[in-house]
Amino acid sequence: MSVPEIDNRINGGAPLARPSGKRFNWDWVGVAPFFLFALLFLILPSISIFIRSFEAVGGGFTFDNIIALFTEQDIINAYKTSLGISLITAFAGGIFGFFLAYAVILGGLPRLLRVFLVTFSGVASNFAGVPLAFAFIATLGNAGLVTRGLENLFGFDIHQTGFTIYNMWGLSIVYMYFQFPLMVLIMAPALDGLRREWVEACENLGGSNFQYWRYVALPILLPSILGTMVLLFGNAFGAYATAYAFSGSFINLVTILIGAQIQGDVLYNPGLGNALALGMIVIMTISMLGYTILQRRSARWVR
Amino acid sequence: MSTNDHPLRNLSRRDFLKLSMMTGFSAFLASCGGSATPTEEAGMDYLASGESIPMDVLLSKAQEEGSLTTIALPHDWANYGEIIETYKSKFDMEVNELNPDAGSSDELEAIRANKDSKGPQAPDVIDIGVGHTETAMNDALLAKYKVADWATIPDSAKSPDGYWWAEYYGVLAFEVIADEFSEIPEDWEDLLKPEYKGKVAMAGDVLKSNQSVQTVFASGLSRYGKTPTTVDEAVEAANLGLQFWKEMNDAGNFIPVIADQGKIAQGETPIVMEWDYLALANRDALAGNPALDIRVPKSGVLAGPYAGGISAYGPHPYAARLWWEFVMSDEGQNLYLKGYAHPIRFNDMASRGVIPQEMLDKLPPADAYEAAFFPSVPMLTAVFNEITENWRNVVYGEG
Amino acid sequence: MSSESSRSLSSSIFLRGRRRGSNNSGRRRINIWAWIIFLIGILYFFVPLFATFEFSLRMVKDQYSFEAYRVAFEDPRFYTNFGYSIMWAVITIIISSLLVVTTAYWVHWRTPRLRPVVEFITLMPFVVPAVVLTFGLIRMYGSPPIVLIGSPVLLIAGYVILSLPYMYRAVDTGLRSIDVRTLTEAALSLGAGWRTILFQVIFPNLRVAILSGVFLTFAIVMGEFTFASLLSWPAFGPYMEEIGAMRAYTPQALAVVSFLLTWASIGLLQWIGRGAGQEQIAGAH
Repeated sequence: MSVPEIDNRINGGAPLARPSGKRFNWDWVGVAPFFLFALLFLILPSISIFIRSFEAVGGGFTFDNIIALFTEQDIINAYKTSLGISLITAFAGGIFGFFLAYAVILGGLPRLLRVFLVTFSGVASNFAGVPLAFAFIATLGNAGLVTRGLENLFGFDIHQTGFTIYNMWGLSIVYMYFQFPLMVLIMAPALDGLRREWVEACENLGGSNFQYWRYVALPILLPSILGTMVLLFGNAFGAYATAYAFSGSFINLVTILIGAQIQGDVLYNPGLGNALALGMIVIMTISMLGYTILQRRSARWVR
Repeated sequence: MSTNDHPLRNLSRRDFLKLSMMTGFSAFLASCGGSATPTEEAGMDYLASGESIPMDVLLSKAQEEGSLTTIALPHDWANYGEIIETYKSKFDMEVNELNPDAGSSDELEAIRANKDSKGPQAPDVIDIGVGHTETAMNDALLAKYKVADWATIPDSAKSPDGYWWAEYYGVLAFEVIADEFSEIPEDWEDLLKPEYKGKVAMAGDVLKSNQSVQTVFASGLSRYGKTPTTVDEAVEAANLGLQFWKEMNDAGNFIPVIADQGKIAQGETPIVMEWDYLALANRDALAGNPALDIRVPKSGVLAGPYAGGISAYGPHPYAARLWWEFVMSDEGQNLYLKGYAHPIRFNDMASRGVIPQEMLDKLPPADAYEAAFFPSVPMLTAVFNEITENWRNVVYGEG
Repeated sequence: MSSESSRSLSSSIFLRGRRRGSNNSGRRRINIWAWIIFLIGILYFFVPLFATFEFSLRMVKDQYSFEAYRVAFEDPRFYTNFGYSIMWAVITIIISSLLVVTTAYWVHWRTPRLRPVVEFITLMPFVVPAVVLTFGLIRMYGSPPIVLIGSPVLLIAGYVILSLPYMYRAVDTGLRSIDVRTLTEAALSLGAGWRTILFQVIFPNLRVAILSGVFLTFAIVMGEFTFASLLSWPAFGPYMEEIGAMRAYTPQALAVVSFLLTWASIGLLQWIGRGAGQEQIAGAH
């Protein structure tokens, strides 16, 4: 690299001014492989989803699928439930996950527990589908360990209270199994980045722990926390295997609806499945935009 | 395939099968005597004609191909494990098994996706729910072929030109953990009893699984009280079925979880409705831990045949035809029976006495199957649509 | 607070080398809550696992035994499928980490304007359900002009795409917490070439971040079902599904075993990856 590159940055890390024509080409070299890969295996197939949303059952063009997204009660309910679960698990998962990460990294717990939790999280974040469903059925189902244990020990039948794992709230509890670990795993490096010196500096200046968090740590962490919550949201929204393993389409979720249209033995309208997927993409894009705006706000406090 | 304009429509299912078997058998005998020996030049015509290929030619050509690609054949489903192994050892062929979990529409999709591919992901033979044969035909995914035993397959269980034919069927049965209940349900209405609260589940998802749609239909048939003869009557029965499950859900007897062997063993789903061959296979696999009682309900006995076909784009056309000659032969059909599935040529084989008695003894009593109802393809399509469109609406009051 | 001023402030404090007593009492208060939170977490995670394990011991009627495990391990397909998945995982990790780290670094260093674009792309795999994406891939690459369907390229590509969000976010978070520009500038001004910068300055500082991305990718590939099953490649996910559909006790035994095995593998990765990297996150001062 030539020395002139550094001259450009003498203003101490401010965003790059638009580079001159010659150097502009170099900027693309680094990201080219990524973009090419994404284009081939992600973007083009996704565009085909967009196109195929307009496909009618026997072939041919139709707007029916898109219209169905807004008019069919079934589909609206599916979106409502999916959004509900995603918001609940993103929020609750994000908060408790953050506390968990904090507990093992900065909470003064023995070092071993951190390794334990982080490695466990790596596995748990992907423990989904049939095994996870079974694990929770075996715990909280009608014949589950905890259910029967509570009945035998305290005479308390949790199902009498109307609790069931076979609804949105029950499923949310199950989803946490991969949401908490995901939060832990992604926040771990960020929490590591909180330098000890900052805590000490804050205290030296007379700040309390609360003030440290309010004015130093949280602003720095906020983009990562919010970003990871968005990730959790998307993760929950797109989750299929676990929900399906539970109760098939007895619980009405967008992903299950998509699966039924594209893959099922009975229903078969891939155009509708693609339209549903398109709807999902739109929702995620909106949340992504929201995140970007939020991040710009909080990024003002960092660097 | 509908029976409503047939002059003999008032015959019971069984009589009809017997009649067609007799006519078929005599036709077969007649054709046997008169056929000329084909020559080698007819090689190219073999595939196009759709007629049965003589075994020696077929075997040598198949062995040249060397391998067969199957899809959606779990080893524990109707004894496919043994069927595949026997095919391999008997004819010295290899079998490339794809995606045992595939559903019927996955199989058709696999054919479509691999039209130009001819690689290891292209299936040669498929096994789909009869209700899917219409889609397969519309999309021209099948090649026609009539096996040597073609005539003994009931007319209503095959396409007249030979594009598909039923291989086996089962009826929906109750699979119950015997020790948990003082009384085992004998019929569909019994399932509504309060002692079964929180105990009844289906083995699949109504919007995705043929088996579950049929479960709803069967319960409706039981309430309908008579055998539907028109598509409209079938749809009426389907609606009665939806009502039944609404009541099951409201009473809390129905658990909205997909049952499988693990959940049965764990005790979460002590009563499940499944195809009898799957239920019996479960009973054997669990070997008493827990002990399962398999009962065919007294009314609403619904038969669910599965149809076989050859992919029009498969890379091993001769191996595929050899497979079907084997599977539809007495030997192959008996292997299905070993897996508790009723071969489609059951009546023909029984009348000729080629079914081993021990096998017959292991099945539920034959009279339970007498009332088995085989819906026609138009009926099936209409029933699928009716049930899947209205399931959530009726049962959960949504939409 | 700009990085320069924070560093100068902290270094001045550091030089004075004081550690305040209030620190310790603050720590101890946090400790109790940390323990409580940790224990709640452990309870939530382990009870369902224990329920599965307890069930898996019940294969022989009326007693606890490891029969289900014995049967599960006797199946040769367990080994072949597990082996295949490990192989897919390793390949995916290599491709994914090279692709993501270089791209994320490049974006942070050279083209911050592109960051939202790149981030959007890395979030897309979340948004597009696996079922739909696979069908899209199969349709596109199943027939000419580009036929990829017979080779594992499509499977690996699918896995890389699936793990993209996690890998990128982990690396991105790591990059945010180190001062990329300063490090690069310092290295450049000392005359380092790009390879040195990447492998001796950036990568070591990102070790924690990259490792967490690697763990996630490994777990994803090992457990993945949709791609492998629809593309008909041998892998552990479809094998587990098949066993789960047709058997009792052995699938639960397998679930426990695969969980423990994956955990052990990740622990191994962690152990290999540790050393100089852990405590020192930002090496600039």
